[in-house]
Amino acid sequence: MGSSADDGGRPRTALLALLPLTAPRDDVLNFVFLILLAITLAESWNIVAGYAGQVNLGHAAFFGLGALVTRMLWTEGAPVLLAMAAGAGTATLFALVIGVAAFRLRGAYFAIGTLALGEILRTTVGNVLPEISTLPAATIASYRLTQRFYLALGLAAVSVIAVAALATSRLGLGMRAIREDEEAAESSGVGALSLKLTALALSTALAGLAGGLFAYYHISYYPSHPFGPHWTFDALLMTFIGGVGTLQGPVLGAILYIVLKEYLALRWVDIHLLIFGALFVGIVLLLPGGLVQAAERARGVLGGARRAA
Amino acid sequence: MLEIDGLQAGYGDVRALFGVTLSVGAGEIVALLGPNGAGKSTLLNCVAGLVRPRSGAIRWDGQDLRTLGAHLIVERGVALVPEGRRLFGGMTVQENLELGAFASRAWGGRRAGLERVYTLFPVLAERRRTAVQALSGGQQQMVAVGRALMASPRLLMLDEPSLGLAPRLVAAILEALVAINRAGVTVFLVEQNVPAALSLAHRGYLLEGGRIVGEGSGASLMADEHVRRAYLGPLAVRTPSPQGEHQ
Amino acid sequence: MSVLAQQLLLGLLIGGLYGLAAAGLSLVFGVMRVLNVAHGELIMLGGYGAFWLAALFGVDPFASLVLVIPGSLLLGALLYWGLFGFVVRAHEETRIKNSLLIGFGLALALHALAVRLWTADERSIPTSYGGAVLSVGELSIPLVRLATLTLALVLIGALQLLLSRWRWGKAIRATAEDWQAALLTGIDIRRAYLLAFALGTALAGAAGTLVTVAYSVSPSIGLEWTLKALIVVVLAGLGSMLGTFVGGLVLGLAEAASAATFGGPYREIVGLVIFVVVLAVRPRGLFGR
Repeated sequence: MGSSADDGGRPRTALLALLPLTAPRDDVLNFVFLILLAITLAESWNIVAGYAGQVNLGHAAFFGLGALVTRMLWTEGAPVLLAMAAGAGTATLFALVIGVAAFRLRGAYFAIGTLALGEILRTTVGNVLPEISTLPAATIASYRLTQRFYLALGLAAVSVIAVAALATSRLGLGMRAIREDEEAAESSGVGALSLKLTALALSTALAGLAGGLFAYYHISYYPSHPFGPHWTFDALLMTFIGGVGTLQGPVLGAILYIVLKEYLALRWVDIHLLIFGALFVGIVLLLPGGLVQAAERARGVLGGARRAA
Repeated sequence: MLEIDGLQAGYGDVRALFGVTLSVGAGEIVALLGPNGAGKSTLLNCVAGLVRPRSGAIRWDGQDLRTLGAHLIVERGVALVPEGRRLFGGMTVQENLELGAFASRAWGGRRAGLERVYTLFPVLAERRRTAVQALSGGQQQMVAVGRALMASPRLLMLDEPSLGLAPRLVAAILEALVAINRAGVTVFLVEQNVPAALSLAHRGYLLEGGRIVGEGSGASLMADEHVRRAYLGPLAVRTPSPQGEHQ
Repeated sequence: MSVLAQQLLLGLLIGGLYGLAAAGLSLVFGVMRVLNVAHGELIMLGGYGAFWLAALFGVDPFASLVLVIPGSLLLGALLYWGLFGFVVRAHEETRIKNSLLIGFGLALALHALAVRLWTADERSIPTSYGGAVLSVGELSIPLVRLATLTLALVLIGALQLLLSRWRWGKAIRATAEDWQAALLTGIDIRRAYLLAFALGTALAGAAGTLVTVAYSVSPSIGLEWTLKALIVVVLAGLGSMLGTFVGGLVLGLAEAASAATFGGPYREIVGLVIFVVVLAVRPRGLFGR
């Protein structure tokens, strides 16, 4: 699972790093940027869902917190990387505080509980900061898309590497044990709560960084926008369709999602959601391993056919 | 007539039955005895359709029950009083009994069925509008038996009906079973309380570790050395026999 | 003082609809342990049903219930056969998780479909009696909203009656309590599930109609109403339909009180906070059996 993606990933990442040097149009850079942001968001969500086995429907809260803190600090003059770190730190802190209580809930209750928390945050931020947040003219003048692009590339790479490292680590093994059967894992010495909290911390830190990236990238947006549940739903869709709990799954899902969304948005706004919603249902019922599983099956069939021939 | 042939069953990776063969003839009272964990409940659950066996045959009146859903097995005239009663706690005595007649073969005659149950267990008639969770253990067991009877079964199966009941109540349940049997219902009874079971059974089987290790008439099992040593012992509970001439 | 009283009254009036919305969700979850998070979208569809019946054929929204309810029953049956019927094959833990995911996918698809077909605009049904108000002392009671509260209560009462008198209503209750025991009494629990799901959807459709006539409908009311229904179910617990109705009233009142005290924007939060607090304090207490 880990090695093939890593081997394929490095040359691909190198290629992407060279992209801005070929001076493409801005809209190409923006497009790839969105994909990279989506990859980060999906992989971060994948950590809790795929490896610790819990469906977190409040993921947008951490994305939003990262965006909020980063925007505030950066527009006040802090260097952007520091601001993003602070954003991620805030998100993680919040996650740990609620995580202790939230993880007492199982399955669906955890899901709807986190959804409610996310909504509380969104509504509060929307009430406290109702005005649009726009960058000052000087900042807009010195806006460099390339910088944002490299940051996004770096962040996406970090998230994939983090998940890869997690999967093969002792931490990841413990998480997989919990996901399969929490009670059995507990009785064989796996400290479920601390593992889940670690997973949550990593997941929300990445989400917070992604939020910071969002704040760095967009010129103007409503502060409550990054708290919107559709960010969570996007992450969920991308991860599940690609293959939850795998390394390449969220990457595949993110690419497919953004490509389809941007392509279809030209003709039919939001129809990508109809397609993905239906696809999602099909995957949950028929192919829980997502596209990754489909690819493995196809490879198996082709391999078999080749052997027979 | 119930025929079980080479039945193998289990839960997940755990096997509970390793090729059980037995039969229950029409009009008989047959007891299935054995220690905890022997697989007795599993056997009844297989017949009732709650558990799918791995292999083997279950035939009732010549028809294979293995392919039928549990609710359809009730339609065929086989009713189970499950272990722990499993009553619908929030509902009244009457509602529980009525639901027992849900199968279409019994629904039309449910009023008559209720009268029969109330005659058999008069105390239930007095408390027909009481929620069953407010009843005593013995009364709940009566409701459980009554509910199964409401399905107009030709085969009545019971899983540990005496569990947790005082001797006086156990005797009352056993009396009722004899009366039910006299009215033409075949009874297949799983019990840990061996004296109680053998006091009314025509025949019995002994199930240990998922296998039949003994069978015989009620009297011969009662006199059997192994049975006496393993299940009766010096502190055996003496339950009053409901009727003397039955052996 | 009278401003507060007026606010509380309005809260009570919408609370009845919260209760009706929750009743459908509660029924389905109680019977088959399926958490249909697309419930709000079903409410939305019921609302659009009423809207288009009024816009295209001039059907009075209250009268359209006669068409929306059977239509929703049918939709529920179709959704069960096509979708949720497969979810119930798994055992409880997996079932809840899968139903959550599937409901989610369904909600997204239905929402996108609604936006595609009918645009994201808010729609309402203008009626000749729409502005009628009953004055009681210093309070003015909008008649349409009073009617929706009454109808919500009537529908809940009808459901309660169905569950206690109808043969299959009793079967549904028995299945909710103990599905294995239900099987042993000869109940085809798959049929009980189908009926429960259809009834739940019918309640959602009715709620949608009433919401549209009293307020408005748009594709995005789905998530909002799913959350409201979830909050009420967690508050009131499973089991009693009337209890769920009262839970809805309580939520409506709490929202009104919070809006009056902290200001309008905080109306939404109080319900969510109650929800989170109840979940934290009794994680399974209200849902669990």
